[in-house]
Amino acid sequence: MTTTPGAPGEPAAPPPDAEVATGEGLAARRALRNARIRGVAFVGFAVLAFYYASRSFDISAAFSFWIDEQGGESAVLQTPVGVLWVVAGLASGLVGVLQLLRGATFRWRPWLLLLIAPWIAAILAELLAGKPANLTGMISGSLELATPIALAALAGILSERSGMLNIALEGKMLIGALSASIASSVTWIVTANVLAATVVGVMVAMLTGGLTGLLLAWLGIRHRVDQIIAGTVINIGAVGITNFIFLRILSRSTELNTPRTVEAMLIPFLSDIPVLGPLLFSARPYVYVGYILVAVLAYMLFRTRWGLRLRASGEKPAAAGTVGINVIRIRYQALFLAGLISGLAGSYLALATAGKFEMEMTAGKGFIGLAAMIFGAWHPVGAFFAALVFGFADTTQTLLSILGVQVPPQLLSSVPYVVTIIVVAGVVGRVRGPAAAGQPYEQG
Amino acid sequence: MTKLREVLRKALVPTLAVVTALLFGAIVIILTDFEHLSQIGTDPLGAIGGAIGGVINGYGAMLEGAFGDPARIATALQSGTERDIATAIRPITETLVATTPLIFTGLAVAISFRAGMFNIGADGQLMLGALGATITAILLAGQAHPIVILIVALVVGTLSGGVWGFIPGFLKARTGAHEVITTIMLNYIAALVVFFALRSPTIRAAGSTSPVSKNLTPITDVPNIINLPAIRLDYGFVVALLMAVAVSFLLFRTTKGFELRAAGFNMTAARYAGMSAGGSMMLAMALSGALAGMAGSFMVLGTVGQLSLDLSGGIGFNAIALALLASLRPSGVVLAALLFGALTTGGKTMGIQSGIPFDLLFFIMALVIMFVAAPGLIRSIWRVKVAKPAPEVASITPVAPSESA
Repeated sequence: MTTTPGAPGEPAAPPPDAEVATGEGLAARRALRNARIRGVAFVGFAVLAFYYASRSFDISAAFSFWIDEQGGESAVLQTPVGVLWVVAGLASGLVGVLQLLRGATFRWRPWLLLLIAPWIAAILAELLAGKPANLTGMISGSLELATPIALAALAGILSERSGMLNIALEGKMLIGALSASIASSVTWIVTANVLAATVVGVMVAMLTGGLTGLLLAWLGIRHRVDQIIAGTVINIGAVGITNFIFLRILSRSTELNTPRTVEAMLIPFLSDIPVLGPLLFSARPYVYVGYILVAVLAYMLFRTRWGLRLRASGEKPAAAGTVGINVIRIRYQALFLAGLISGLAGSYLALATAGKFEMEMTAGKGFIGLAAMIFGAWHPVGAFFAALVFGFADTTQTLLSILGVQVPPQLLSSVPYVVTIIVVAGVVGRVRGPAAAGQPYEQG
Repeated sequence: MTKLREVLRKALVPTLAVVTALLFGAIVIILTDFEHLSQIGTDPLGAIGGAIGGVINGYGAMLEGAFGDPARIATALQSGTERDIATAIRPITETLVATTPLIFTGLAVAISFRAGMFNIGADGQLMLGALGATITAILLAGQAHPIVILIVALVVGTLSGGVWGFIPGFLKARTGAHEVITTIMLNYIAALVVFFALRSPTIRAAGSTSPVSKNLTPITDVPNIINLPAIRLDYGFVVALLMAVAVSFLLFRTTKGFELRAAGFNMTAARYAGMSAGGSMMLAMALSGALAGMAGSFMVLGTVGQLSLDLSGGIGFNAIALALLASLRPSGVVLAALLFGALTTGGKTMGIQSGIPFDLLFFIMALVIMFVAAPGLIRSIWRVKVAKPAPEVASITPVAPSESA
């Protein structure tokens, strides 16, 4: 969605960095210049890190990990904060040197991921100023917070890869949240069975999300409504109708808004692994569904015929149509699936996080999901890790405000949004989206 | 005669869109009217009648809230007491008060759409404009003549909004960042910035627990048009109308305006003709933000009088509906803003009097946009012949700049 060159009549798509860098000419020189700037920036960060290191050797950071189960014994890792800064500085310096030496062919993005960990550790330790922090709680919290964003990103990937811009994720999640809450509450009232209530809630949410997805597809394909307008319409309509139903019905009949909350579920064998167990495998079932969906979607997109057809519809629908692919039907399918997943994400918000439906409870998560999608280069696994970063930012904010660290809460709340802008602006590197995203397809 | 027919034909789709949307709204009201619907078993006719009565009640309250009762106005004018006149005409004036920011933001969105940029950030730009105006007014309080403070604050507010609009324009022009995401993110960030600013004791109202700013009316106030008690209509409305004229002039009678529109029609062709597409994007977004900022400034310096977190009230999305309904024409924007102003003011009364939540209007507005953008729907529902959507509206597909930009 960031750059969509390659459409008929547009100048040809820019070749990927590596090709450009080794060639001659203006593009190569520009790539080299950008590489040098990046290298200097990395070294600059290293210097900054060493400066902070020199000031903080006396403060000691304490990070604790739970070993066997959440809330049980914990192992504590204590190091002076200065050490963390030194590590961050060394890592940045290393990357900077490599960048400067290798020039434009250097693949710096994977290294950047490597850098993130020490830097975050150092910054966190600095802000905490000696107060203890439980990292297991933070990371598993990040996983939980990241899940709806990741699910939204997956939905976005499915849509965009098929060639449809789907910015209605927010609206679908909201509708899903409302339906999940009501359906679950009603089922609970009728059957008094927690599992049934949850399952029905999730199913209904997914169904409503899917139907909304079909609506978006119908508007964009059949009626040639600009996909951004259609998406915005659905978002506004969703806010209006969910707020309306909440105020009109749910505020009076509150028993319709008390779904059973989904509790954490321990995976029998895996959750006993020391340290990793409580970290990764003792979360709510949604997180596991998230893992599975990421894997399944990656497989479906890249290793099945259906996935190939879908990606073709997104890159060059005209060619795909010539080969006999039913582009329109694939796009409907993609948006329906995307709607299912968005509804699932919405149900997570209602059933797991808040325990009921609140007005406008998505708070931009659908859009952050889109950012995660772009950050992750339209790949399910990449989007998952991107969502993890956002989830971590969210958790950090909560942790710091709980600990009473003197940072204004608004500053931290704004981090996900600022990061989204930075990502979308391609500061972390420009990635190419599906070439035909957003253009209506003329069959025949 | 043909001229009239032309005008009517152009107005057909928007009018039907609004009517159909209101119908859908009525259906939603009926379907959620559980009190009446629960009687369907025992007394079907009465139940349905009661439900429909609920709708009529609600929409009637909306009409009265928007325009007032004509009979009442007549008697008040005859009896002549200020009090009576004020109470009678208050609905209309309140509608105009609500219309003013809608004109500003509708123009803002229309300008940006014309240049091919989706400005969803009118909310944030309005808030930042309001913040700029508020801070200026508070800092200058008592140090200059109120009119001077007013003008300076208005300028600062407008510029603040302009800057906030410029940022996504710049990002789109230089990095290809999609403005839908950046403007929406900046909305959230703007809310946080305002929240943060309202924590400062200089700005916050003394002794208040909720985040509101000091009352600005003692410092400076936009002069009122009608000087009656409790009537809020001020010259902001007039400025809004002037802005519509200005925007129309800019878009259709200046070179810059032509460049903006060309960039919106076909970015590649515009660039080929030597126009700076990136420059057009940035200018359009900056102007857009400035207009929204002006809206916020007038609200905070005039009709509302203080800055609070819910100042914008989601107006950015209404503005999108407006602009589309008006086919991006400034004259249409004024008319559509009037309509939406009436709906909003009436909707509040509807909420108070008949208990139908105001948020239904968001749903109705979304339907309006949908029907305007997809006239085929209107055609199938009403079996009328409708023309294809206007080219400006249909061709709003964001085109990213290529590398050589």
